[in-house]
Amino acid sequence: MQSKTFFRILVDTNLRLLRRRVIAVREQSWLMTTVMASFVLGYWGASYLMFHHGFHFLASLPGVGGMVVERMLYLFFAFLFVMLVFSNMIIGYSSLFKSQETQWMLTLPVPAHEVFRWKLVETSVLASWAFIFLSAPMIVAYGLARDAGLLFYGKVFLLFLPFTIIPAAIGALVILVVTRYLHRRVFKWALFGMGALALVACVIFVRPINAQDLQESQMIGALDQILRNSRFTRYPLLPSSWVAQSMIAWGEGWAWKGTFFFLVILSNALMAGVICVAASGRIFYDGWSRNHSQGSFKLGIEMLDQKISMPKSWLLEPALRLIPRLDSCTRALIVKDIRCFWRDTSQWSQFVIFFGLLGLYVINLRNVTYDWHNEQWAVFIAFLNLGASSMTLGTLTTRFVFPQFSLEGKRLWIVGMVPFGLKRVLLQKFWLSSVVAIIITVSLTLVSCLMLHVPLWLTLLFSATGVLMSFALCGIAVGIGALFPNFGSGSTANRHDDNPAKIVSGFGGTFCFVLSLVYIAIVISIEAAPMWLQIYGGVLRRDQQPWAMVGAWLVVSLISLLATTLPMQLALKRVDEMEM
Amino acid sequence: MIRTENLTKVYGGLTAVTDLNLDIKKGEFFAFLGPNGAGKTTTIKLLTGLLKPSSGRALICGHDIQAEPVEARRGISYVPDFPFLYDKLDPLEFMIMVGQLYDMERNDILRESEELFDTFDLNGTRSQLIENLSHGTRQRVALAAALLHSPQVLIIDEPMVGLDPRSARVVKNVLKKRSRAGMTVFLSTHVLNIAEELADRIGILNQGRLIAIGTKEELRQQAGQDGALEESFLLLTRTEQEIAASR
Repeated sequence: MQSKTFFRILVDTNLRLLRRRVIAVREQSWLMTTVMASFVLGYWGASYLMFHHGFHFLASLPGVGGMVVERMLYLFFAFLFVMLVFSNMIIGYSSLFKSQETQWMLTLPVPAHEVFRWKLVETSVLASWAFIFLSAPMIVAYGLARDAGLLFYGKVFLLFLPFTIIPAAIGALVILVVTRYLHRRVFKWALFGMGALALVACVIFVRPINAQDLQESQMIGALDQILRNSRFTRYPLLPSSWVAQSMIAWGEGWAWKGTFFFLVILSNALMAGVICVAASGRIFYDGWSRNHSQGSFKLGIEMLDQKISMPKSWLLEPALRLIPRLDSCTRALIVKDIRCFWRDTSQWSQFVIFFGLLGLYVINLRNVTYDWHNEQWAVFIAFLNLGASSMTLGTLTTRFVFPQFSLEGKRLWIVGMVPFGLKRVLLQKFWLSSVVAIIITVSLTLVSCLMLHVPLWLTLLFSATGVLMSFALCGIAVGIGALFPNFGSGSTANRHDDNPAKIVSGFGGTFCFVLSLVYIAIVISIEAAPMWLQIYGGVLRRDQQPWAMVGAWLVVSLISLLATTLPMQLALKRVDEMEM
Repeated sequence: MIRTENLTKVYGGLTAVTDLNLDIKKGEFFAFLGPNGAGKTTTIKLLTGLLKPSSGRALICGHDIQAEPVEARRGISYVPDFPFLYDKLDPLEFMIMVGQLYDMERNDILRESEELFDTFDLNGTRSQLIENLSHGTRQRVALAAALLHSPQVLIIDEPMVGLDPRSARVVKNVLKKRSRAGMTVFLSTHVLNIAEELADRIGILNQGRLIAIGTKEELRQQAGQDGALEESFLLLTRTEQEIAASR
């Protein structure tokens, strides 16, 4: 069969599948359609306003405004490029080596490299569409700020197509080589090792701003610091710099310069595609076969091999035994949850990326020292930090806690039949996720507050808020997870398709995320209100502020209690009535 | 049609299949038996080219599955125990897609599909999405799609899982009929009476080694008893502890 025919059949089929999915969403629930549409419009509207004001503010800076705006674009595309490479690697691994569809295709009378090419295209689309969706408001805001015509948006869209191919090819090549030549257990540890090394490198090489210098001329100093630290994004061999240059040139009306960089991207994208496809021929099939032929990893040194392939939770179970009044059933479920999480590649790879980003965030906090700024800035930064920590927690609970019940649902025959019932299973998931969330949030809050030199009383208040938010966000995630489970088609043929990322992408996952964001917005607004009123409104006196904040915290406690108990109560009622 | 020469597969430190030599003729119905973990699925994956052998080779329709994978796969169909199907397609759309992937003309696809839908009693479900079908019906859709291009070799893993007695009977009849018409069937199963009822020859794999091969009578002779196939199978696949205990 010709390559073109193979692609045409698969494109036709996938378009038909996409159309069916859209129809299914529309027919399934008006609530789902409304929530999703509101979320999309809300995101676009809010992002557009943020970028619009941001560009106008930066452009108004005397002397350096235009340069800072341009540098923001370079930074944005550099960040996008790195995220696209990671995204392609994660999706590419699942799509190339773990998908049942790939196994089926490899039994068809088509060469393995054709299957690889198709999967490369599929991965590239899956990994890139969200980034184009997310960056759309920024492009519109930039275009309007530059008074660019309608043609500008069309050209930028065209620019994105070859740009997404380069990270897709890099991601696929990395995955191909790693899968072909590294044992997955070695890869897992190598990834953690690289993550740790990257963090150490950031700690060493990312230098904090010198506060003394900045006190003299804060704005100029900060701008100078930003421009100096982001110089790497202008590196002429970075594909992201070509995109930025092309977009800037088109925005300014320099058609030829913009077209030149577009052609640079296009030619490199084609070259990357050719290299990827040429390398794929045998490596993909060898890698696939190797990936499905691996036994447990052995170094050949008995003592080390025992440790590496140790299947038992040698530390976990004894540690759990130390917790008083923890019965054996709950302990067994906790051990099972932790083991399954640890051994699921699709879970931990995304977990590593989450924590990598968190690590970078914490390291960068050193650049925003608290005490050299004025009070308005201090309030802004402290609450921005609380907001960032809670948003991260909300994303984590939606991604990792929400799918737990749906994953369990496919194994209801075992956990649903055990003597203590599904209600206990749900409560166990709530407590386990809450404890983990509290450890993460409180650690993050303490570290970030320490780095920002936030006063002790405010640090304690934020930590206490972190505890409340952990309970509430886990309550929302576990509750909504049980109320709107995503068991897939339920067919036995798809029993291996237990991908948590797919479960999250359904209505329940979107609803859970939106609800978490609404809760976070409410909590931050209430907690920030006293400080805001004192500093900006002049309604409160300085000595009244701590009491007002404690009062606000108590209101937040009540709201958090409601956010925790309401979804959990509804979910417990639901599982009590559930027919298995 | 299916030939393996010293086919061996090693996973890490574990040898899943050792020096497997098979020669299965055109139109032969071959049943592949073995206890859990014996290496049956690994053998199937080696025959279909999904896995690379550690040594030896497999020839399908005269083509080495590793050296000429496309030519070899043109003549085979593989139905795993849990076949992949597109949930958001209906059975006819799936058949059309599969037919196109095997370079069939649209009219031939539609004609063959009609026949297969009649045979497998799928007419009532042709316009339903696959995601709404029961496991047994999905299994029949997968089998119909596998037979669509009239393969020379059908490799099938546990075909009766989830099928009701009527559907199981239909599947058995179709496989036997196709086999008589010249299609080679390689069927892997745990259900001994299916092998006993359908197979021309039976191979028994234990711990990666082919420990017995032949007709039912030949297996009985090898086992040294006259009972049903089950007795022969249990005798041939005894563990060392069982042998020691019987002494």
